[in-house]
Amino acid sequence: MSSSAIPAFRRALLALNGGPSDERIVRLAAEYAARTKVELIAVHVVEIDWTLPLDADLGARSEEVQRVLDIAETIAEESKVRLEPVLLQARDVGAAIVDEAVERQADLLIVGLPYRKRFGGEFAIGRTIPYVLQNAPSAVWVVRDPISEEPA
Amino acid sequence: MIGGRRPLQGRKPGDRRVRLERPHAPYFRYTGRGQLTAREAASAPTTPAGQLWATIRGFFFGRPLASEDELGERLSKKKALAIFSSDAISSSAYATEEILRVLILGGMAALAFGLEISIAIAVLLIAVAISYRQICIAYPGGGGSYSVSRRNIGRTVSLVAASALMIDYVMTVAVSTSSAVEQITSAFPILYDERVLIGVVAIALITLGNLRGLREAGNIFAIPTYLFVGSALLMIGVGTFRIVVLGEGSTYGPEFNEQVSGTLQPLTLILLLRAFAAGAVALTGTEAIATGVPAFQPPESKNAATTLAVMALLLGVLFIGITFLAVNFGIGPATLEAKQTVIAQVAREVYGDGIPFYLFQGFTALLLFLAANTSFNAFPRLLAILAGDGHVPRQFGWRGDRLAFSYGIVVLAALAAGLIVIFRGETHLLIPLYAVGVFIDFTISQTGMIRHWLRERSPGWRRRLSINAFGAALTGTVAVIVTTVKFFDGAWMVLVLIPVLVALMAFVHRQYELQAAELHVRDDGLLPGPHRDQRVIIPVNGINRAVVQAVNFGRALTRDLRAVYVTDDLDAAEALRLRWERQLPDVPLVIVESPFRAVISPVVAYLDVLDQAWPPDVETPLTIVVLPEYVARHWWDRLLYNQTANRLKSALVGREHTVIADVPYRRDH
Repeated sequence: MSSSAIPAFRRALLALNGGPSDERIVRLAAEYAARTKVELIAVHVVEIDWTLPLDADLGARSEEVQRVLDIAETIAEESKVRLEPVLLQARDVGAAIVDEAVERQADLLIVGLPYRKRFGGEFAIGRTIPYVLQNAPSAVWVVRDPISEEPA
Repeated sequence: MIGGRRPLQGRKPGDRRVRLERPHAPYFRYTGRGQLTAREAASAPTTPAGQLWATIRGFFFGRPLASEDELGERLSKKKALAIFSSDAISSSAYATEEILRVLILGGMAALAFGLEISIAIAVLLIAVAISYRQICIAYPGGGGSYSVSRRNIGRTVSLVAASALMIDYVMTVAVSTSSAVEQITSAFPILYDERVLIGVVAIALITLGNLRGLREAGNIFAIPTYLFVGSALLMIGVGTFRIVVLGEGSTYGPEFNEQVSGTLQPLTLILLLRAFAAGAVALTGTEAIATGVPAFQPPESKNAATTLAVMALLLGVLFIGITFLAVNFGIGPATLEAKQTVIAQVAREVYGDGIPFYLFQGFTALLLFLAANTSFNAFPRLLAILAGDGHVPRQFGWRGDRLAFSYGIVVLAALAAGLIVIFRGETHLLIPLYAVGVFIDFTISQTGMIRHWLRERSPGWRRRLSINAFGAALTGTVAVIVTTVKFFDGAWMVLVLIPVLVALMAFVHRQYELQAAELHVRDDGLLPGPHRDQRVIIPVNGINRAVVQAVNFGRALTRDLRAVYVTDDLDAAEALRLRWERQLPDVPLVIVESPFRAVISPVVAYLDVLDQAWPPDVETPLTIVVLPEYVARHWWDRLLYNQTANRLKSALVGREHTVIADVPYRRDH
């Protein structure tokens, strides 16, 4: 895809889920940003269930959670691109991603979609992606993992 | 609430989120499970004085570089030829002069032998180059004489090689710099009296560049070599045409003969050997390519071997060519009156007094400075390898802010600058110290290769072995000749220095081995927890917040703790005892009356007495001396506090079964 074929974006928000698709998303965005100077914001949302308070001390202390954004920053640095990491806690991941994108006036949202199948063999898209596609005011890129990477 | 942030309201009711702080982010990055990587901010100084020093260092040396910033550039043959050959090729700028300086002692007619001697040295060069090509092929990981001898001969011989190499590198800087300065003063004789200053300043600038992380791989380092080679080949071509075709050239004139009439010696075999030994400096730097094989583009060994052959050819042509022109133009060595090097006189003869002459002198000086710079890369690396093997202090293996081995660079600069000052920047005075180490290295390398082939017995090993055996015999013979004929000119210093350096490195190695043996922990089985009794002693000066904090720290360590108060004022001691028993009743206070007003010694003596009183059949306990300290707020008020604690610390450092623990008390405001 040549850069001329892509509309120019100003600010892209990358939704990272801590899975293998994160690296693919960040590399793709970093490569794009290196050419177009688009600003990158990486968001990782820790979902808090209703049994805990929203500001429960979970994400900030978790090395695993922090590592998701640190790895994204490292990949972006390799491409000489600046990436702003944002760590959120929310009840609903999709809503938090969309709200953060709106607040930061992102005009592009990039989300990763792991290739999974439900019991019975039907492709499972989950709750977050449909919510983002339905509610995000900006353009949305969905980067699905290759099928061979995670066989059903 | 995390990070003091309130929940952020989303677009829909109930959609709320909290943005979390990431306090580690400016300083660290999680790079794996249980693994953090420090960022630049984590290494930055935090005190104002430290920040000021960092700013000053940043101004001179540049901002710190991360290890991943190191360049791993592979060199093409053309670039490698220029970069690795600068040391060897630059020696053609002074080798001819060294021959003529000796031959002139035999009279004007003797100067004509310069050409024959340079041809003999070129033959030696071919033999050495062929031998070193074997090393390029056998050691694609780099075959410096130290590593070759370490692998094939043994530690002591490898240390001899390392010592000779170190001397060689220091001499390369001193000789190349002083020769470069001589090229400048040949063009501008008015600067002659400032040659030492110019040399020292040049070394300082090269040092600064290297401390900033200067790399040899840049194109900028390839240019001077090709400029010199191009202009020198042109000079040789034009000069040879004028001599051979146009029949120009002159014999050594009678006035020159008169200048040196007082120093004439009969032309003897010894004189020829001395001239040969003096000109043998042309071979210095020949080994650089064999050492730097990993820096070549693949196939590394083949490319390095080809480059070595080209370098030897170029050096041979330049050396013989310059000597041919010097002999046929009737040029003699630089004198105090003439103040012009032989190569400068040759250039003036060919290029005239115009801009081409000044350009050539500039190219020559640049190449010589570049040759000096090669040692600034090689010497610290050798020291780092030796530090890794435990032969020199470990700090030589540490990289500075700019990825340079700073300690090695500074040591090299200091030694080379010292030599320039001592020898007044006169290249010919430095030369006798130079070639000895080089030929010792050649011989050790070749001998190591003999052992290598005998052990490997790979296809064609007999032929390769015979090449290296011939090389070893030849360079060994030359080493003996060079050492013998230059002995009283300064070679004796090298012969003294090498065993001293070997002994020093062996001593350092022994110390590290002893330390490693002392610290060794078996790698099998679980490591048990502490099994010795421990007691805490807290020297106090009364009851205050710092003392209370120290007592609480001691309480956390063990129940066997006591405070010690040393005083010559019994009334004050009694007052303290009363207060102590009231406020800290669970901690015994020992009052030591010191009628001689000493404070430190009574505490140490008290500890000794406690140790002696311990049951002899029970393992001596660990004594933890907890020192309450007050943290000064400013650098200037440090003098006002903790002086007794500091003295006590000095007295207790190294005491058996004793640990010193500082408990700093810091005011909140």
